[in-house]
Amino acid sequence: MSDLDKAIAQLRACRPIPEIQVRELCYKARELLIEEGNVVSVDAPVTICGDIHGQFHDLMELFRVGGDVPDTNYLFMGDFVDRGFYSLESFLLLLCLKVRYPDRITLIRGNHESRQITTVYGFYDECLRKYGSANVWRYCCDVFDYLALGALVMGAGHDLAPIDAPFADPSQSNTDADDVEIELLNSQGQILSRFPRNRGGTQDTSQLSNTPSSPSQTKEQTPSRNGAPGTGATSTSGGSANNSGGAVLCVHGGLSPLIDSIDKIRLLDRKQEVPHEGAMCDLLWSDPDEIDGWGLSPRGAGFLFGADIVDCFNRKNDLSLICRAHQLVMEGFKEMFSSTIVTVWSAPNYCYRCGNVAAILELSEDGANAGYAPRSNGDMNRSNGVQSEKEDKRPGPGRRYRVFDAAPQDSRGMPAKKPVADYFL
Amino acid sequence: MAGTTGISTHTSPNGAWRITTRKLPILKADPIEALSNDIGIPIPEMIFGDNFVSVTHIPSQWTLEFNVRDALDRVSKTEQGMLQVAVAEEWKKERAHQEEVKQVVKPFDWSYSTDYCGTTHAEKGGEWRDAVGEKEVVRTDLLARQDPIQFFDAVDLYEDELADNGIALLNIKVRMMPERLLLLSRFFLRLDGVVIRIRDTRVYVEHAEKKVVRQYTAKEEEYDVVQEKLRGMRENAPEAFRDANKLAPMLRTIEDRTEVFEVS
Repeated sequence: MSDLDKAIAQLRACRPIPEIQVRELCYKARELLIEEGNVVSVDAPVTICGDIHGQFHDLMELFRVGGDVPDTNYLFMGDFVDRGFYSLESFLLLLCLKVRYPDRITLIRGNHESRQITTVYGFYDECLRKYGSANVWRYCCDVFDYLALGALVMGAGHDLAPIDAPFADPSQSNTDADDVEIELLNSQGQILSRFPRNRGGTQDTSQLSNTPSSPSQTKEQTPSRNGAPGTGATSTSGGSANNSGGAVLCVHGGLSPLIDSIDKIRLLDRKQEVPHEGAMCDLLWSDPDEIDGWGLSPRGAGFLFGADIVDCFNRKNDLSLICRAHQLVMEGFKEMFSSTIVTVWSAPNYCYRCGNVAAILELSEDGANAGYAPRSNGDMNRSNGVQSEKEDKRPGPGRRYRVFDAAPQDSRGMPAKKPVADYFL
Repeated sequence: MAGTTGISTHTSPNGAWRITTRKLPILKADPIEALSNDIGIPIPEMIFGDNFVSVTHIPSQWTLEFNVRDALDRVSKTEQGMLQVAVAEEWKKERAHQEEVKQVVKPFDWSYSTDYCGTTHAEKGGEWRDAVGEKEVVRTDLLARQDPIQFFDAVDLYEDELADNGIALLNIKVRMMPERLLLLSRFFLRLDGVVIRIRDTRVYVEHAEKKVVRQYTAKEEEYDVVQEKLRGMRENAPEAFRDANKLAPMLRTIEDRTEVFEVS
């Protein structure tokens, strides 16, 4: 067993590794990350994850639900640290896996991967508490500066790769597996619902906010040909000549008015503390909102961007979807703007008290479901497909969301369920 | 969400007063949208919309309730009193050339500062009146006694991380002892580099009396001033800045009023 494998085993048991090992690990990680561009290319299939926030036991649950590294190819969209009690173990484990399996896990930077933010929101204090000095915090912050700002997922399939999974509700097992746009699974790997692509007809522009457990949802799970209300199963699949789901851009926060093409992200100098302003800051901080164009947050800093901005950016950069994290959503994921952007949130029961579920998003490989793909003869490669669809909005890739609850609470250091009575005045 | 899920309740030994709490997960997307449409401002990131705490006088069915909707409805829905984050000036200077993005979206008090003192349901009428004399106060002397706590709960109504510029939190603690009860609804705001704000509502009842005493205290201080004080006290600043109890004595009192409701 190599030292690295030993470190992985130790971290998996939620035990910190010695300071000297952290230093070495961070050094190796930096050497690896420095070679990555600002926008990392990732090939589908890939499983995309949102905020983790030091909820180590829930990260273990995520791996149980999504599969282990290196069997599953992972992309984490930042905010590994702060708020939870095990930022250190969570981040170091992800970093170890990155160094051990560099091609099977991609880490991009969140706004919490910064010196300033971690001093306020817990990671700094945690390092100090666990090591007695700030050295480990410093090593980690040096790694933060080298994390990529985004990732571009290529070759995601228009169709989902079929899986051999039972339905949570057996009465639905006859649901059509054809042309599924969205599939929703629970943490036991059972299918909760499937949403086929719209065959023309009205487009549902409402936000997707699946509530897999809510009774009202079950009515909508019948194999209707229209996307169920509120599901965002909205893209048309009409003339798609291949099985490509188009490229998917992953960033922690969102877009920036200074960035109109992915190449402009590539030109940024990222190896620094997250600045208070500029494109790099926006990519890690901005949020989509129901507005037209760009808006300034009422807080006085930070951008909001509307559906038109996303639509324009996706067309120009030949994207079918933007995937981001950064905002808590009760349902674990939320598709907006006719499914042109999705928020993925992977910290269940956030801060150990919100009671929300978490989600991860699986994108299949192009051609993985060839049997169902509506291909035409001699028109199979991606670039031809791009040409023919240039004018149209790209149909999104098939999306499989796995939702999961918080891991059973470990007694160590976790806040008790019942509040402790105190003589407050 | 209806039903009794998440509800805890406790009645005073003399059968006159009852505390009820409800604790449930944060709201889902649809109820969030409905609430936002109802009160007309965006909803805090962590919204425990089904949670509440209430104190009921059982014989008269008089109830003082603390719920999320009414608390948020007291947040300013205009630019009035709107704070700016510490980096706002710098940020705007930097963006001055970007014509298209000068528009502030939906101005409102995004710090979610509320002066909410609870919602009164008085079926038999009556009103809150100003407290008179030294007897109508929250009796800290009696409440400081280590009487057995027969019921205790802490309930979050909402919390927002202010896009990592600090914290805004409204939570309620309640405890019932054999002879009296105390409820503390606390709004705590820390806007990093700008301001610390605490708005407390205390509700105090002697079980043997037919009287509810309610004290509202608003405190505030500039962030830098508090930071200086902490430095002088050799406190671990990041930790102290998360602890409203530690910060409260360092703030200036802006408003302090005590009212009484006599139930029948």
